[in-house]
Amino acid sequence: MTRRALPIAVGIGIVVWVVALALLAVTTEGSRRFEELQPWILLINIAGVVVLLALIGTRLTGFIRDWRRHVPGSRLRGRTILMFGGLAVAPLLLVFTFSVLFLTRGIDSWFHAEVRQGLSDALGLSRAALDLRMREILDRTGRIADDLSELRGGSLYMSLDNHLRLAGADELIVTSAGGQPEAYSTAGMLHGMPAVPQEELLLQVRQGRPFVSLEPAPGGGYLIRAATRIGSAQSLRGSRLLIATYPVPQRLADLAATVQKSYQQYGQLSYLREPLKLSFVLTLSLVLLMALLAALYGALYFSERLVRPVQDLIAGTRAVAKGDFETRLSKPSHDEIGFLVASFNDMTIKLARAREEAERSKAAVEAERASLAVILARLTSGVISLEPDFRVRVANQAAGQILGMDFDQAAGQPLAELAARHPLLGQLHAVMLRHLDAGEDEWREQLTLRGESGRRELVCACTALPGDAAVMGGLVVVFDEVTQLLQAQRQAAWGEVARRLAHEIRNPLTPIQLSAERMRRKLFRGLTSSDAELLDRSTQTIVQQVEAMKQMVAAFSEYAKAPEMQISEVDVNVMIRQVSDLYHAQDPRVAFGLALDARAAILEADPGRIRQLLNNLLTNSVEALDGRNNPVIMIETKRAGDQILLTVTDNGPGFQDSLIEQAFDPYVTSKPKGTGLGLAIVRRVVEEHGGQVELENAPQGGARITITLPAARRERA
Amino acid sequence: MRLTRMRQPGLVCVAAILFAALALRATAAEDGRFEIRNAYVELVEDVWQLDVRLDLGLSEAARQAFDEGVPLTLTLEAEASTARRFLPDETVVSLSRRWQLAYDAIADRYVVTNPASDERASHASREEALAALARIRELPLANTAKLPSDGRFEMRVRASVEVGEMPVAIKILLFWKSWSRSTEWYIWSVRP
Repeated sequence: MTRRALPIAVGIGIVVWVVALALLAVTTEGSRRFEELQPWILLINIAGVVVLLALIGTRLTGFIRDWRRHVPGSRLRGRTILMFGGLAVAPLLLVFTFSVLFLTRGIDSWFHAEVRQGLSDALGLSRAALDLRMREILDRTGRIADDLSELRGGSLYMSLDNHLRLAGADELIVTSAGGQPEAYSTAGMLHGMPAVPQEELLLQVRQGRPFVSLEPAPGGGYLIRAATRIGSAQSLRGSRLLIATYPVPQRLADLAATVQKSYQQYGQLSYLREPLKLSFVLTLSLVLLMALLAALYGALYFSERLVRPVQDLIAGTRAVAKGDFETRLSKPSHDEIGFLVASFNDMTIKLARAREEAERSKAAVEAERASLAVILARLTSGVISLEPDFRVRVANQAAGQILGMDFDQAAGQPLAELAARHPLLGQLHAVMLRHLDAGEDEWREQLTLRGESGRRELVCACTALPGDAAVMGGLVVVFDEVTQLLQAQRQAAWGEVARRLAHEIRNPLTPIQLSAERMRRKLFRGLTSSDAELLDRSTQTIVQQVEAMKQMVAAFSEYAKAPEMQISEVDVNVMIRQVSDLYHAQDPRVAFGLALDARAAILEADPGRIRQLLNNLLTNSVEALDGRNNPVIMIETKRAGDQILLTVTDNGPGFQDSLIEQAFDPYVTSKPKGTGLGLAIVRRVVEEHGGQVELENAPQGGARITITLPAARRERA
Repeated sequence: MRLTRMRQPGLVCVAAILFAALALRATAAEDGRFEIRNAYVELVEDVWQLDVRLDLGLSEAARQAFDEGVPLTLTLEAEASTARRFLPDETVVSLSRRWQLAYDAIADRYVVTNPASDERASHASREEALAALARIRELPLANTAKLPSDGRFEMRVRASVEVGEMPVAIKILLFWKSWSRSTEWYIWSVRP
């Protein structure tokens, strides 16, 4: 059924039902007009009750189901049903109670004693009036009988006709004692043979008592029938009877008929008194039942209609709470609920737009953040972003590399806690606190961080991020490690120094040496033996020292020179074995432990320089182990991604703390005869090959030098 | 073991129905006898006429209502049917006649009216009127053309009496009340 057809069907049903109820009320009063329709009318009403019960059952079942499932709005609907039902039921019951009361009392009032007495009095009055008439008729009949006592045959007929006319009778009949008609005279429409006299009439007249009675006329109204014996004969045999029928005057007959009808109706009503009361009460009860059911159905229906928009709103609100902003509610009406629904729809539309905007903004921010992350990841500068409460917001990989720690899990952790666990970060943190205590949000400073792997020079800049007016948005610290840069600068400077030294010193050395030798040669013969010995010793010293200086200058020259590299593939493991064997042969006391990774073998490097690097490292270690018991040198290679790690560890005294930071600088040495160029050359070779070198004292003692060199391209993944 | 009290609504209903039936039977016994004493038909000048004699007893309530002016209606139903082979009997004649007996308080007489013919007969006493009503004479049933020519058919008559003219609505609303009394069908075979 369509949405439009349903209300039409319901409307027609309601009209039929109301008409049926009205007809039921009419027919209960006894209207014959609708008697034939009565079963149908009752059937319609019963069908209405059944339909209403079915509708109520359906809706009530749904309501109870919703109530048990705690469907939103079911409580409100329950209260609405109670309210509507209460508002409808209370007046209905009140009206019903008073209606029944008035009805029963009204019906009882029909049968008050006064009414009955009045009717009895009217009946008695009518009878009295008719009795008077009957006595007159009886007297008149007696006189006629006296006149007819001697008449027979034709004269009797003539006399009958004459008396009929004079007395105004309808019929005069002369019969035998047995009731057989002998003569008769009729007036008006009464024709034909007279009827056989009534038995009671004959019996009474035979007994010698005149008979008179009031009888209902066949065509309505009344007639008075009188009978008496004709003549004075004592014997019944041969006697005759006169039976006369007189009309009752129309006026009196009408009044009597009215009284009779009222009496009969009153008797009928009296007989129907209790059934009428009961039927009226039942009719009222049926009407009440249907009205109650209709009210209950109306309460269910309208509560559902009233609550449905609220349920929709609740469902919509829940959907919005879950993030579904596409929820749109159908507008139920143009009232306040409709306005509320329209406002809700406007709200969801605006929320959807706001969410789209937020999502776009979020996507843009995410894109920016991703870009920033990529940029940060690619940056060689370390970047640490801090929350206003000094928790780490983000830090890039370079920051971790520079500070020797891993920032992957550091996001959200307080910087102070991280600083306590990582010494380099702790030093940076101390500098930051110092500036903050001084009220400096933005500062720039070159720092020197000291760690186990040596000194690290950082150029650090800090700036405050924009935030609220009262609270800053955090800090961002950017730092670059300039250790290698500074070292390179120092190395270049030292190279220049070496070159100048080589140039400036080497030139006079030969003349000095030649002059000393010439002086010895010229003066030696003319001197005394003691002077000659002094001269010889002095010139020897000069020559030796010049020779030493030449060697030093050669070393400087060597350091200062940067010949072209001859790059080829070098198997570093093979070279390590060769160099270590050579050193072991030179000093068998030193034990060499090799842990060489076959995956960390091939370098693209200058073989000569790599060999020089190994020589310098082993020379440095062997010299450090001079005089030590059980000298051991551990050489280890290991693959770390695309890098090859080369670690040389000895069990010597290790580096002095005061020298460890400048260990790679030229002319820094703790050995009496060292030139201080060994590790400087190591570092230069490593850097020439794109690697890194770190120096530290091993925890178990001794020095450890770790060199990182890129593996050959074909070895990379 | 946990004992539960069993309800037996079926027994209660049966007891209530038995009680109601006994009560109705007792009420009927209190009423006067109402039955068809005898009935016969005879062919008079090509017209089958029905004579019926009733025992027309009234309950005390009906007598009281009758004395207060409530009319009494007697309805006689008569049917003539012929037997058919392999088929149900065919009803060839069916008629219903009503008579009304009312007390005329003005005349202090009891009037029997035949609404069909508008005949009225008054009687001096209730018993006389009831006796007249209980004796139905020469009621034309049908002419010979409507009934089998061999004069063999089945007859059945039934009478019902109702006090007052109760509206149908009340009869339906108070369906559980007995508003009229009916006799059983009085059945006999007519043979030539």
